[in-house]
Amino acid sequence: MKFGSTPDIAEYVRKEIYPDGLEYVLLRENRVVVKVNPGDLAKVAELFVKKFEARLIHATAVDLELKGFEVLHIYDFSKLKDRLVVVVKALVDKDSPEFPSIANITWQATWAEREMKELLGVKPSGMPDPRHQFLPHEWPNPVESGSIPEGYKFDGSSTTKEMYLPLRMPIEEAYQTLIPIGPYHPGVIEGQIVYVKVEGEQVVAADIKTGFHHRGIMRLIEQRGYNKGAFIAERVCGICSAAHGLAYITCTENLYEAEVPDRALYIRTLLVELNRMHSHLLWVGVVADVIGWKTGFMLTWGLRERVMDIIEAITGNRVNYGIWRMGGVSRDVPQELAEKAKRTVDDLKEECAKLLMLVADHPVVKSRLIGVGPLTKAQAYDGGAVGPVARASNWKIDVRADNPPHAIYDPKVISWEVITDDHCDTFGRTLVRVKELLVSCGIVSQCLEYLAKTTGEVRIKPKTVPLGAEAVGLNEAPRGELAYYIRASDKDSSLPHTIRIRTPSYRNNAIIPLMLVGSNLADVPVVMGSTDQCLACTDRLEIINERDGSRKSLTWDQLVNLSRRVSRW
Amino acid sequence: MVDLIYTVVSLIVIVPLALFLGVIYSYLLRKLSARFQWRVGPMFRMYGDLKPLLGTTRLLQPLYDILKLYGKETVVPDVSRRRLFVYSPYLSLIFAVAAIFFIPFPGMPLLSGVPYSLIIASYLLIASILFTILGPVASGSPWAAIGARREVELFLVSELGFVLSVFAVAIARQSLVIWDISSGGQSVYFALLTVTAGALMLVAMLGKLHIKPFDMPEAEAEIVAGPYTEYSGKLLGTYYLTKVFLLYGLVALFISLFLPPIATDVLWLPLYIVAAVVLVFLLTAVQVLNPRYRIRNAINWYLKVAIPLGVLNFVIALAIWLVV
Repeated sequence: MKFGSTPDIAEYVRKEIYPDGLEYVLLRENRVVVKVNPGDLAKVAELFVKKFEARLIHATAVDLELKGFEVLHIYDFSKLKDRLVVVVKALVDKDSPEFPSIANITWQATWAEREMKELLGVKPSGMPDPRHQFLPHEWPNPVESGSIPEGYKFDGSSTTKEMYLPLRMPIEEAYQTLIPIGPYHPGVIEGQIVYVKVEGEQVVAADIKTGFHHRGIMRLIEQRGYNKGAFIAERVCGICSAAHGLAYITCTENLYEAEVPDRALYIRTLLVELNRMHSHLLWVGVVADVIGWKTGFMLTWGLRERVMDIIEAITGNRVNYGIWRMGGVSRDVPQELAEKAKRTVDDLKEECAKLLMLVADHPVVKSRLIGVGPLTKAQAYDGGAVGPVARASNWKIDVRADNPPHAIYDPKVISWEVITDDHCDTFGRTLVRVKELLVSCGIVSQCLEYLAKTTGEVRIKPKTVPLGAEAVGLNEAPRGELAYYIRASDKDSSLPHTIRIRTPSYRNNAIIPLMLVGSNLADVPVVMGSTDQCLACTDRLEIINERDGSRKSLTWDQLVNLSRRVSRW
Repeated sequence: MVDLIYTVVSLIVIVPLALFLGVIYSYLLRKLSARFQWRVGPMFRMYGDLKPLLGTTRLLQPLYDILKLYGKETVVPDVSRRRLFVYSPYLSLIFAVAAIFFIPFPGMPLLSGVPYSLIIASYLLIASILFTILGPVASGSPWAAIGARREVELFLVSELGFVLSVFAVAIARQSLVIWDISSGGQSVYFALLTVTAGALMLVAMLGKLHIKPFDMPEAEAEIVAGPYTEYSGKLLGTYYLTKVFLLYGLVALFISLFLPPIATDVLWLPLYIVAAVVLVFLLTAVQVLNPRYRIRNAINWYLKVAIPLGVLNFVIALAIWLVV
């Protein structure tokens, strides 16, 4: 199967969407690059978000050395035109790397801008929240990249006076009412701090800080080249490793004229869906554990073990599969194995359906989940929720349907559906994941049926990656939309110049404080768990509830009152 | 004189016996819930090749877990009120051990014949739980404070159920002496009261023993270890020991009040063991089938269940008093 673009899509963007761009370049798979002046970035964002209801996928910047920084805003237009993704680019000067911030227009850009500010030293002007993203808040120095002022002396000292006080609380008050959930806490396995201010058991303010896991994975891939990158990308996350592998491969295959055999596409779908199955089972178990139901935890994880066994039989590994290759996959699935696995999956589907319906119908479980962590569709849209969190707020987005990765998700070939739910709370998220799990079972079953009937090659040798090529690869990870951006090197055809990863938890964790305020302290881990956060994926986030200056903002008291009214029993 | 000596000897014997039985009940709780959850749990018969290393059985695993804590360092936080923090576990243990002196065991009346022994035993059990709240409050940890607060709320409602069920029986039997109640005869009316008041007592036990769905004072996902967050070493071990005694005490109290005359004569011992195992099994079943309630849901649930059931108990008890 070859992947191409609609030929006149760049012209369409020029005529219908934004006529004032400096240059229009068509990339593979309907990705269109629009170059603009840095001063126009905010105007473009306003036009795209307000008029076309485009969704910001990611905002980032690329260091082009002597030429300056290239600021990138990636927008999703797939609701407007088939698979269309517009990449807005602006070149800013290295000496004064300033450009208007778009966080006031689409709030989701807040972290992305703080991240690029910290990673590259660019300066988005007018940021509503200019705090550090990965570094400790009290870190006294500007970031050591980009431009360091002349004569600047490093100052490593930090005193109590300069200590960052979460939620702007005085120290005395903090001792009484501030509950730090993290950095290491039994409710959340990975490291992050959620500062929760409580009155009795009521949460009245919340703040979140991560930055305990930053491993520089993007830089590692930049140094190791495309082929080894597939293995590193899988190691971004241990649970959704297949999703990362597929997103990376989709992105690299978009750099050159790729051709992938059908059988490889089926194997990719198979693995990603098996991955989704075990991830969702894991999530149900984690939530059962968080609400104190050890039995539910043990039973769902027992079922998950059987999914892991199938994955192990297919790939030889349980966590990082290592079968992703440009132009296909590295291992075939033998016909006998496919038949055997299909029988297991069909049995498993029945058991999962039974168990999960039991979970979803349990009265105490319901009392713990219904109404917890409310998130309306408007809030989800503004905050940039993705994946099951967005779908549980009745917002039908799914990359597999809108902008499919290089695998088989064609509704003509495989029957599946996008699950949405209108509960807009943790119970809705549970139902969405439970139903998705069953849908995934169906997809896996169909893939295995195809693999059991046919034979064929699983890999076509990839062509050389052209110098300076660019690509955007999207995939629906179990937690939501996963985006990769790669820019090929101008000098070496085996090395990427830049790689940027935007994980789903990066977005969903953003909304956590919003969902937390007004809830009971007992629900804090449930709300945090309900986004299925994967901090190893994310590690980059920070938010406050008071969105000063943003257009859809509520005042502090309104927000508190609103959420209290919702959560009252 | 012989009676006095027998009582003194049985008072000395009951402490290790109660500890042993409490440990066995805890073992059963752990083993049964493990089997419900597709796990193995502590081994009753160890695998052959592990026998030299781990012994033939791990029946006393709950006790080993407690004894281990006695070998660990005990940390007392700077910000705590030291005296209350350190003494609370011991006081709690003393009250729990004192309570079991007033609850009969087959063949050992102990002090259950003294006047008002029912009130004394109830008071001692309450006092024991009170000190599991006071110590944590003195520790100065926010988690302990929240855990203690939840414990107080839960304690108030579960105590309501406990008192309603215990005194319904006392009214029906027209006695406040546990021995009189436990040696009284059985009839259809009393059996009816056993079912209703026993159900209420079981519900109260769930709250007192922190069985799910009422383990919110110790909800580890929310408030780390709740009241016990700052406790370590011997002090934590003492609290765990208290729990073992409480488990024994509540089971024994249940049997002696609601299943007379099982707790009187030594010949009833096999039936006593069966009744205790069934009770522990019921507690385990509730434990594994339920997630944890929020504290507010728990209070609502208790009020919804305890008050109507308690009123029903009193109606039955009064009817028995007046009619029988």
